[in-house]
Amino acid sequence: MSSERFQVITPAHPDYRNLLRGLTKEVWPEFMLHDAVANEHWHELLDRFADYQVALFDTEKKRVAGLGSSFPVRWDDTLENLPEEGWDWAFQEAVRNHKEGKTPNFHCAIQIVLRREYQGQGLSQPMVQAVRSVTTAKGLPALIIPLRPSEKHRYPLTGLDDYITWQTDEGEPFDPWLRVHVRAGARIVKVCHESKTIRGSRAEWEQWTDMKFPQSGEYVIPGALSSIEINVKRDEGLYIEPNVWIVHEVR
Amino acid sequence: MAMTTDRFQIIAPHELPDYRDRAGDIAEASWPEFMLHDPIANENWHELFDRFSEYQFALLDKESGRMAAMGNSLPFHWEADLSELPEQGWDWVFLRAVEDHKNGVVPNIQSAIQIAIHPDYQSQGLSTEMVRAMRAIGQSKGFGYLVAPVRPTQKSKYTLISIDDYIRWTNDEGLPFDAWLRVHARLGAKILKPCHEAMTIRGTRADWEEWMNMKFPQSGKYYIPGALNPMDMDLETDEGVYIEPNVWMVHKI
Repeated sequence: MSSERFQVITPAHPDYRNLLRGLTKEVWPEFMLHDAVANEHWHELLDRFADYQVALFDTEKKRVAGLGSSFPVRWDDTLENLPEEGWDWAFQEAVRNHKEGKTPNFHCAIQIVLRREYQGQGLSQPMVQAVRSVTTAKGLPALIIPLRPSEKHRYPLTGLDDYITWQTDEGEPFDPWLRVHVRAGARIVKVCHESKTIRGSRAEWEQWTDMKFPQSGEYVIPGALSSIEINVKRDEGLYIEPNVWIVHEVR
Repeated sequence: MAMTTDRFQIIAPHELPDYRDRAGDIAEASWPEFMLHDPIANENWHELFDRFSEYQFALLDKESGRMAAMGNSLPFHWEADLSELPEQGWDWVFLRAVEDHKNGVVPNIQSAIQIAIHPDYQSQGLSTEMVRAMRAIGQSKGFGYLVAPVRPTQKSKYTLISIDDYIRWTNDEGLPFDAWLRVHARLGAKILKPCHEAMTIRGTRADWEEWMNMKFPQSGKYYIPGALNPMDMDLETDEGVYIEPNVWMVHKI
């Protein structure tokens, strides 16, 4: 990887929206695209927080390799008290803060992703650095992230509180994505157990996962970090995704 | 043996010099790695060829010369009602057949052990032909029944659902939801009941980590791809145990 090949671009790039087209569908399991808070607020990223968005641009292939979505937020309590509703809370709070004209004191990232074809090529660190550079540029003291551990989906029956204590032989976090952040200087704060809430009818879940849910109960679904709960009587499936609050202190 | 289409031919073990190697290749290609570590299977597999050779067969693709599928079964003796077939389904029937044979007990029933179709040949209707061919063997022996501890393959996508519930799931035609159960049901087989401990696979933590390319840093239940139930890991005893549930089905022949 030559460092010149990949450049950080922002929404100021004339073709930004086009370059991002299809990216989220490519990197997330289908059901992850049905978080109500995300769908209601997604446009706010560009409408209110455009100067917080970054993408890693492959100048050779003229493609976006990765994306960092973030915004500023106000939090006056200790980081240890960050809400259980991590991701959903942060997005809503940031929009609320902005509407109310509150001065933010933290930078919060809700998505740092690489397209599949760009994974495993050492681009994780540059991608994280691109987001951290926004924190610095905005003069904010820390970047907080309700982080989605990338390998947790292979261990859906293990509690996330346990999972984040798993380590490699070198004493680093077992989870590759957590490891990338810890290597970049981040600290694990705690688990946010209800970071995202995704609801759908039984028919919707069957479509999203290409499975069948003939009876009420818990189901393991590919790509989810914990099991989902299907309630046939209420015609509802509920997935509550746990994430991990981490913090990068940048100064 | 009956079925021969233009392309596929049923062959017996003695008809191919490297039959067992080729059959082994199909097993490796069609089973998750951990399924190849059932001790009863590994200790007794040779008995299929040593004692029950005429109950083994394969499907040869005449066009490519490849082995497309294989079927393993064996005879045993059973007096009680079929509803009393044991919970230890697969492991039990294999041991029972060998024991009966050693003791000179005359068999009166056939049990399926495996029908494996190479991934390259799946979804081409071969499973039905394989079941038919297996049944034809029992018929030629004059048996009244072919029983089978069936592995409902798609149960691996529903590991948290009990097998008792799962076998009641049906499709729009009222046939079993599970594709393998459906193949048998379409041919007239009846579901008898689950056998909850059809196979028991044990390994150390290191074994399981190698088989699964996963890590098991703490005791507890783990979802493992391809398994019909979660696997239970105990770090204190350094042992992971997977108990596979199957479904006893019966074909009247």
